[in-house]
Amino acid sequence: MMRQLTAAPGFGWVLAIAAAAAVGLALITGTGTPVAVGTGALRDGMFGTPYAIGNALNAAAVLALVAVGFTIAHRAGLVNVGGEGQIAAGGIAATLVGVALPDAWPPAAGVPLTLAAGFVGGAVWALGPAVLRSLRDTSEVITTLLMNFVGAGLVALCVHEESLLRQPITSAATLPQSAPLAPSARLPLLGPPEAQATAAILVAAAAVLVALVVTRWTVTGTRLVAVGRSVPAARRLGLPVARLQVAALCTAGGLAGIAGATLVATVPFVLKEGFTAGFGFAGLVVGLLAGRSIAAVAAIALAFGFLASGGINLQIAAGVPASSVQIVQSVLIIVVAGAAILRERGTS
Amino acid sequence: MSALPELIDGGVRLAVPLLLASSGELVSERAGVLNLSVEGMMLTGAFAGAVGAAQTGDPVVGVACALVASGLVAVLQALLSVTLLADQIVTGIAVNALALGLTTYGARLYFTSGRDVGGFDEIALPGLSRIPVLGPALFEQSALAFAGLLLAGCLAVLFSRRTGIGLALTAIGEDAVSADRAGLPVRLVRFGAVLLTGVMAGLAGAQLALADIHAFTDNITAGAGYLAVVAVIAGQWRPWPTALACGFFGIAQALQFAAPTLGVEVPSALLIMLPYLLALAAVSGFARAGRSPSALTVPFVREARA
Repeated sequence: MMRQLTAAPGFGWVLAIAAAAAVGLALITGTGTPVAVGTGALRDGMFGTPYAIGNALNAAAVLALVAVGFTIAHRAGLVNVGGEGQIAAGGIAATLVGVALPDAWPPAAGVPLTLAAGFVGGAVWALGPAVLRSLRDTSEVITTLLMNFVGAGLVALCVHEESLLRQPITSAATLPQSAPLAPSARLPLLGPPEAQATAAILVAAAAVLVALVVTRWTVTGTRLVAVGRSVPAARRLGLPVARLQVAALCTAGGLAGIAGATLVATVPFVLKEGFTAGFGFAGLVVGLLAGRSIAAVAAIALAFGFLASGGINLQIAAGVPASSVQIVQSVLIIVVAGAAILRERGTS
Repeated sequence: MSALPELIDGGVRLAVPLLLASSGELVSERAGVLNLSVEGMMLTGAFAGAVGAAQTGDPVVGVACALVASGLVAVLQALLSVTLLADQIVTGIAVNALALGLTTYGARLYFTSGRDVGGFDEIALPGLSRIPVLGPALFEQSALAFAGLLLAGCLAVLFSRRTGIGLALTAIGEDAVSADRAGLPVRLVRFGAVLLTGVMAGLAGAQLALADIHAFTDNITAGAGYLAVVAVIAGQWRPWPTALACGFFGIAQALQFAAPTLGVEVPSALLIMLPYLLALAAVSGFARAGRSPSALTVPFVREARA
């Protein structure tokens, strides 16, 4: 399981982290902010307050859900670029259920229902690309990518049309967003209320554990890897290749859908345009960096969650654009991908 | 302007950047390199073009800046996918994210007051632009668009399957190892093809920012680069069908602006999704995997592995 990471000599990672840190510092100084102020703001945004820590853990949970799904599909040889669209679809489905739930229900009944709706929404969103891939060999990279744009459009459509999910228009100032989810659909808080850490963290932890067990110790996990290694060989073994591929990609979509559900089921409890907030892409980056290892997904998602939380404060307190975090993430992935050849040469 | 000419005019206007970008990507894919980073190259070109034009007041300088900047992105992509043999899809997506992050960051720092920049005005070709309906749509373009389209046409002829260089390109894209044994410079051609993609995508970005919108906005390309890649796939790696696909995507994008005048009452969000739905239909319906260059996305390594 950890072979992917341990086989990579620390070199690629050291190089990547050094490059990312250097770029990050350059981006801070580029705005004219003193380095000490910038790094101070980043640190405060990560660990400074209970709210910062709670925020980081919530973000890590969303990233972990998307990245666990990505990894499951990746083990089956599929690259799911559609996290953004699947989060959107999951969020829409969860909102559909969440606004319709009776207020009187206990969260113990409403929340699982909302999350399940998110799973179904995301899985359905991934179904088209999955079927096209297994039946017609259409690249799932292109189709899931295009579905992201359709998903963003569908969110816009839902929140602009009163006949769909838009809250009733009472004045010219009524925002194009859904009505708030019923209290029974909202994720309960964990720990102190000022931290605002939600049950999404438990959901993500459960997903990581289940995925770890399934990929490591079950027949399904072995079959997925067999399909991922070689489709012709898996066929000769008599494995249901098409079904495994569809199941893997739909699971990836479903987990991203749950991530979408947790996003609408936390403050401010509404569906609105742009609620996916780049989590689909960041989750993809986590998955790629983790190199098919579920344990690595958990660790990297945690690190990225804190980075995202720190990045928000970097913008608020030090005036460094939040896109800096995205730049640092892409530098990481570019260096790790580029250094892969050094790894292969080193081991062969 | 009545509705139909407006739709055609808007469609052509939106198709031109797609066409420019896909003409370079077509060459690169036929050589076996898939650049999802066309999106990032276009975006970088649009940003650098806008900065250059705003800084000097001269749109030609803007275009030069766009070409240099998108060329640099292409060098990065070529280093990763040709020299370092890295995964083309992964690096393409990462390069796009880098371009989006950097241009958004740059826009925060540079375009602090206004975002409008000077640019190219449209030139009407005498005579041809008088043709009813199609004339104004096709023959009233910016000088940049005319030059870019001419260049795209030259590329299509130069690399057609009837020229030596076009055949070499096909050989490299179909079976790089055999092409290498036959003495073709595989790495060099592939590197050059990616650079060419960068140049054309840079022109496309400059066209978007300097001739079309006359401003830079965050994520101005908004997926146009991906549509250009899909147009190549839907066009079955042939110039005319690719151009046709670009035209379709352009018209589909223009519908959202023309729908009100056409008297169509459809939510705009639905029309925004339309080009991507068409693109999905195109890749899943038309593209049979057998027609794609066999070595597409396969990195070339000389030593045969047992």
